[in-house]
Amino acid sequence: MALLAVNQVSKHFGGLVANHEVSFDLYEGDVLGLIGPNGAGKTTLFNCIAGFYPLTHGSVTFGGKDITNLKDFQIARLGLARTFQIFQASGDLTVAENVMVGSFMRTRSRSLARKSAEGCLDFLGIADTGGAMMTELPVAAQKRVALATALASDPKLMLLDEVGAGLNPSEIEGLIEILKRIHSERSISLLLTEHVLEMVMAMSHRVIVLESGKKIAEGEPAEVVKDPEVVKAYLGDHFVKRREEDGDA
Amino acid sequence: MEAVKNAFDFADMPKSELTIAGLGMAFLLLFPVLPHSSFAMATMIQFLMFSLYGMGWNLIGGYGGQVDLGKAQYVGIGAYTTAVMMIRWDVPFWISTPIGLALAVGWSFIIGYPLFRLKGHYFAIATIATSLVLKDLFEVWDFVGGARGLELPLKGDFPNWLYLQFREDYYYFYILLGLFVLGLLVVNGFRHSRLGYQLRAIKDNEDVAKSLGIDAHWSKIKAYALATAYVAVVGSFHACYNFNIEPEDIMSLDLSVLIAMMAMLGGAGSMWGPIIGASILVPMKSYLGDWLGGQAGLAGLDLLLYGGIIMFIAAAQPRGVYGIVEAVRARRRK
Repeated sequence: MALLAVNQVSKHFGGLVANHEVSFDLYEGDVLGLIGPNGAGKTTLFNCIAGFYPLTHGSVTFGGKDITNLKDFQIARLGLARTFQIFQASGDLTVAENVMVGSFMRTRSRSLARKSAEGCLDFLGIADTGGAMMTELPVAAQKRVALATALASDPKLMLLDEVGAGLNPSEIEGLIEILKRIHSERSISLLLTEHVLEMVMAMSHRVIVLESGKKIAEGEPAEVVKDPEVVKAYLGDHFVKRREEDGDA
Repeated sequence: MEAVKNAFDFADMPKSELTIAGLGMAFLLLFPVLPHSSFAMATMIQFLMFSLYGMGWNLIGGYGGQVDLGKAQYVGIGAYTTAVMMIRWDVPFWISTPIGLALAVGWSFIIGYPLFRLKGHYFAIATIATSLVLKDLFEVWDFVGGARGLELPLKGDFPNWLYLQFREDYYYFYILLGLFVLGLLVVNGFRHSRLGYQLRAIKDNEDVAKSLGIDAHWSKIKAYALATAYVAVVGSFHACYNFNIEPEDIMSLDLSVLIAMMAMLGGAGSMWGPIIGASILVPMKSYLGDWLGGQAGLAGLDLLLYGGIIMFIAAAQPRGVYGIVEAVRARRRK
């Protein structure tokens, strides 16, 4: 049975169709990439799955339970954690305390929350930042804090929205390592969006391609990049035509 | 009990702050013994009352970032419950106060539930409106004395602990000081509690908070109810201390704004903020108001001055006086 099943999900904003009848399944242990050019509807789909937007049509089940009409925080409590493109942490709390907010989803006790938060910071290799304020950290470390906070809530599935944005290549490499460890050592399934393909391709078992709100391809990363529809979505019509001409010649 | 342990845990406070707090506490304990005018004593009592009002406000307004300008309605519920029960049924302060607290907290859930669907300025305006509507209702409700309010009867038998009636002000002072210490411990426990952390997460980014399983709406309502408990108890105390309550006095917009100003000036979202604010604003209000009131043509000038101070704080240092302390400390650390 699929851990996450997205069935015919559509999301309209007035006349604008942000997602149109998107369906896919994610199984336990999967690392699934969700790619597509800017404005393809990736973040909207995330918001629909995580309960931040009400769906126009369709349904979503998580762990066999219909979560279509649940509220965002209820879905989070079931073990579906999401991160945001821009993670703005509380300015009144230290890094460790921000991570504790994640831990508090599973416990009432401050001492247990602290222990779990320290464990998560340590797991992500930023144990030394616990006492700092968020604004004092560089972007790459802030991204790790965001991951630590989501991790502290002990999820089954993490939806990662553009975690690699704004990082340089060596930082992205470090991030890939971290995500692989989250996946293997904590047995958390991952669904990641990225418009920088490098990271998704390196990590995903399967990839789903969105374009103008519709799913246009699904398959293994190496297969998907050859799909003419996908190339067209990313590089435009003439590129495909030119390649066809080149092929003919 | 971890909650009790949290309330007494001051380990995360800088030594300097704890030293100053200790000295301040010693001063408060000794104040009635030191030579002082009765005007100074009255001012100190006001200081303690407004510190408590501010501490309550700070829970939702400071830690939660929800600017609440309607706390006076709950002061009124506390004060009127105590006054009405004493006048009509001879109920002592110690019994009527918990009942007033329960009524105020109950009312805060009814008000809070729809109000916290609103955000930012809309929320602030709605809190003003609900408070003023309740005040208007009290002004036309004969059962509670209408616009003229209520006069509490003298019970005699001084010092009368049952009805909180004393000839000497230091009784009132020490009772308030007890509430003040209790109030501080509750705030300290609150900021170390799950709700306290969650509220600070909601304040800066509600979406992130929701993604961490926090029911932001319900968390705000809970903090609002806790804030209400503070002001309701002080309201009950005020009725006994003042012997006279009327809607225009204890349920006015002026009082709501003044309560919010304590924490905003001193530092919203910090534990000492409301106390710092009250220690500046209350003496200023009574001494300046007293002096200016005596000068022909200058009455009301003090109001202009608070307005100026608040505008200056809002523009220059939104985190209040305590924010200046924090900024200095951060610079020294670098």
